[in-house]
Amino acid sequence: MQAKWISKKDLQKLVAKWVKKYAVYAPVYNGKELAFQIVEKPAQIVLDDYLNTRYPAKSLILPQSEVLMKYDGILHGVENAEKEKIILGIRSCDARAMRLLDHALIDDQNPDEYWKRKRDSAIIFTLGCNEPEETCFCTAVGGSPFGTNESDGLLIDMGDAYCIYLMTEKGKVLFKDLPDADEAQLKNVKKMTKQVEKDMPALLPKQELHDALMASFETDFWKDVSQSCLGCGVCTFLCPSCFCFDIVDETVRKERVRNWDTCMFRTYSLEASGHNPRPTKAERTRQRVMHKFAYWVDLIDEIGCTGCGRCVKYCPVNIDIREIAATALQQDFEGMKK
Amino acid sequence: MASTRNIKIQTEAKRLLQEKAVDVVIGFKKGTLPYKMQPCFIHDAKEVEQLELNGLCSNNLAVYLNHRPKGEKTAIVVRGCESRVVQALVLENRHARENLYLIGVPCIGILDLQKLQADEQDPILAVEEEGDQVRVTYRSGEKTFKRIEILHDACLHCNHPQPMHADMVIDEPGYFEDQPYEKSYLDSFRKLSIEKRNARFKEEAERCIRCYACREACPMCTCEECFVNHSRPQWTDSTTNPAGQQAWHIIRAFHQAGRCVSCGACERACPMNIKMTYLTDLLNQDIFTEYGFEPGVDEALLPPFLTLGDDQVKFTDQQEDNHAG
Repeated sequence: MQAKWISKKDLQKLVAKWVKKYAVYAPVYNGKELAFQIVEKPAQIVLDDYLNTRYPAKSLILPQSEVLMKYDGILHGVENAEKEKIILGIRSCDARAMRLLDHALIDDQNPDEYWKRKRDSAIIFTLGCNEPEETCFCTAVGGSPFGTNESDGLLIDMGDAYCIYLMTEKGKVLFKDLPDADEAQLKNVKKMTKQVEKDMPALLPKQELHDALMASFETDFWKDVSQSCLGCGVCTFLCPSCFCFDIVDETVRKERVRNWDTCMFRTYSLEASGHNPRPTKAERTRQRVMHKFAYWVDLIDEIGCTGCGRCVKYCPVNIDIREIAATALQQDFEGMKK
Repeated sequence: MASTRNIKIQTEAKRLLQEKAVDVVIGFKKGTLPYKMQPCFIHDAKEVEQLELNGLCSNNLAVYLNHRPKGEKTAIVVRGCESRVVQALVLENRHARENLYLIGVPCIGILDLQKLQADEQDPILAVEEEGDQVRVTYRSGEKTFKRIEILHDACLHCNHPQPMHADMVIDEPGYFEDQPYEKSYLDSFRKLSIEKRNARFKEEAERCIRCYACREACPMCTCEECFVNHSRPQWTDSTTNPAGQQAWHIIRAFHQAGRCVSCGACERACPMNIKMTYLTDLLNQDIFTEYGFEPGVDEALLPPFLTLGDDQVKFTDQQEDNHAG
């Protein structure tokens, strides 16, 4: 892994060059909040002292509403060409989520072309988290605030400069003329990152939690957990690793679109017959939690939650997935079974 | 140390559960974050000590009445807005009043997280309320506010903070008094040109992510099937395009005309900080001007849009059963 060193000033100059050739997305204050937007001037970018954007960066690859095709008697595909883009400064939790979504949306036979096209045209540089928020728990679910295997490069804020680890060729090309970080600099980086990681929550026992949840399936645990759930889509829409969508024909505009959908809506699992296999909030909450902490583990032996903490922070009734996981680990589900 | 207000709430809850007068008490308990409280459902008299009420209790608890099993005897901690919801829903035949027991609490107001967290990148580590003062510890340091400075707008504009129609009222003063109907804060919006009003509406509505937290947090959104979920025919654009976002916010507001109790739970639930109570308040103001009606205030007076003469149809048991799921 290559490590480079760049002053913050020089990074701005570099970004000024990038914006001429690429669509550069970075955290920008839009007057209401921080959000990933196309950057026109490097000075707009907010990389210092930011925690995370509330709206997840997955939307850059999987937009909330996306036109799949248009029709007016005959079908028209949508424009295929994607301008190459650089996504600068997403957090490692969000970058890890994109890698998880690759598993869900790209397989060898049937890749989701819409996702793949945008994904292939994106170069992603993560920004390490020197001061994670209190709701952050990436370390509990197998990630790190300085995760290196999630993107093309990782920037670590070292005061007036960034240390940049470059993982892929795509990443290396963009920083190629820079000096390598020297040993003393790298030692400082290691010392700082180790300390930050040490203060974060401990790793959850993945298999034990998986087994506990599997045992919980038919118990009243979910009724208790979901009692205060309102059934809105905040947790899943803001989740970087949720990817469910619904396809709708917008007949007035003659477009077929897909919109984010969520297992937390009653209508998500409602069948045409009127039957709903997840009839109450209990089954729906169970689905959300088990998808992350049990089904992903079955599929790729990784937890499907990346610990960004958005669902915890923005849930209107303070349902806390960390608390659900911790409680599940304590429960005697065999004794609870009906 | 539990405040005397909390102890009185707990004592009443304990009595109700011990005497088996109710099956459950709905209230708030401490959450997992320093700036949030969790709605809770107490079934056992031994657990009443969890019950607490403070300025961080941001939800309208009456929303849960729509989720409870039919026939359950339910006690619920109600502030002014929550008590008016119960009254409005009873008048709409959504709930049987005899199954409900209202523990009224003179309102202490609800704090607005948006105002508390003006700088979103500076997390809140602790919130301590002491009467009129609220001390907030941020990562960057401590700050003390007057309660009124960080109160949610809906509470600032509230005309009925005192609980109404309650079965008992906790004997602790609230921080606010009832006053005659008054929504002069709307004047500045009404005076704007159509273009400016439209621009203001678009600025809010077009940040919508269609998560429907506003709908689900609203105790008056009781429809079994929401118009946005209807697919044959499809009433609205399904996307996050302006057409879809605007349609949602306009029609949602219209369905609340003469029904919304102006609690502001919709705004507090919104993850995108979208302002929307001004829309329902405008409609309610029209209803008040035309009919002199305020939702949830009068014990018997039906809302104007429910007053159809002699052919009012009561909801059948069948429909209520469907809704309970």
